[in-house]
Amino acid sequence: MEEIRFIDLEVHSAFENMAIDEAIMLRVKEGKSNPTLRFYRWSPSAVSIGTFQGMNDEVDVEFCKTQGMNVIRRITGGGAVFHDFEGEITYSIILPKRHRLAPDDIIESYRLLCDGIILGMNHLGIEASFKPINDVIAEGKKISGNAQTRRHSCLLQHGTVLLDLDVNMMFQALKVPLEKISDKMIADVKQRVTSIREILQLDVTIEELRNALYDGFSEALNIELKLDRLTSEELELASKLAAEKYSTTEWNFKR
Amino acid sequence: MKTINYKVPNGKMLKIKLNDDGMKITSVTILGDFFLHPESTIELIESALIGCKIDTEIITKKIQIVLDTSQSILIGAEPRDIANAIEKAMQE
Repeated sequence: MEEIRFIDLEVHSAFENMAIDEAIMLRVKEGKSNPTLRFYRWSPSAVSIGTFQGMNDEVDVEFCKTQGMNVIRRITGGGAVFHDFEGEITYSIILPKRHRLAPDDIIESYRLLCDGIILGMNHLGIEASFKPINDVIAEGKKISGNAQTRRHSCLLQHGTVLLDLDVNMMFQALKVPLEKISDKMIADVKQRVTSIREILQLDVTIEELRNALYDGFSEALNIELKLDRLTSEELELASKLAAEKYSTTEWNFKR
Repeated sequence: MKTINYKVPNGKMLKIKLNDDGMKITSVTILGDFFLHPESTIELIESALIGCKIDTEIITKKIQIVLDTSQSILIGAEPRDIANAIEKAMQE
């Protein structure tokens, strides 16, 4: 069975997390690192915005500051996400162009990779399905949001799986435009977004979610996850990217 | 500067920030939760629209040309949606 390098659940700041994803891409591009799946959490909790979004349009930056939360721009498109340290696991998968798990068709590749999350949810006893463009839904509500970029001769897909949802905190950190709500005729985010604990009414742990996702990705992608660590070159590159790009006002407030 | 939100039917959110002289676009920023591959094409689109008459057909065509020549893929919105959003911003 095909091996994919696996970087097990780690905790980093927003700046480190986004920098590590890009650092891995750069090393995969050079042929120096293998295709990689990584799981991570965000500490402190953070808000990430899509690469085309405006920071001050989407995020109550002052509120986040008072809560000690990081705010960051991703290199991927998509929407703003509240990354609650206690409430989610983020994954990323980095594959070289033309890898069998990286088809050219972007929606198809979301569908293929999101299968890992869907099987992971199944392991927890939750029925889930892919909702194009980039969501996984359960009970008709979003439980996972995903985003892709193709650059550095790689595909990067990262996404978040909701274990718990602090709607109150999310609403305070994000500015949700009225149009987004009224278009769907639903005025309450609770009716659009759900979480594992809400569905199961059980106190599922981060570790249980990690295990479910590990099995889900292994089975759905038909891969053997090979536990590994980030290389010293990746860590060095990531710390440079964190300092010179992801933590800068220039990048984060670019739009 | 004029700013509007525009929900693409069955698609993503667009936010347009527009400066104009009454007839033509003098500057535009296209924001939102859509996808565009490669992402750097957004700057090409925004600069191609400077000086462009605010007309849905013309704007749609201009965006399509940039997408075609840069071999870019826009997901969650069509060129026409961006044009409609710009026209809506103009009317603000």
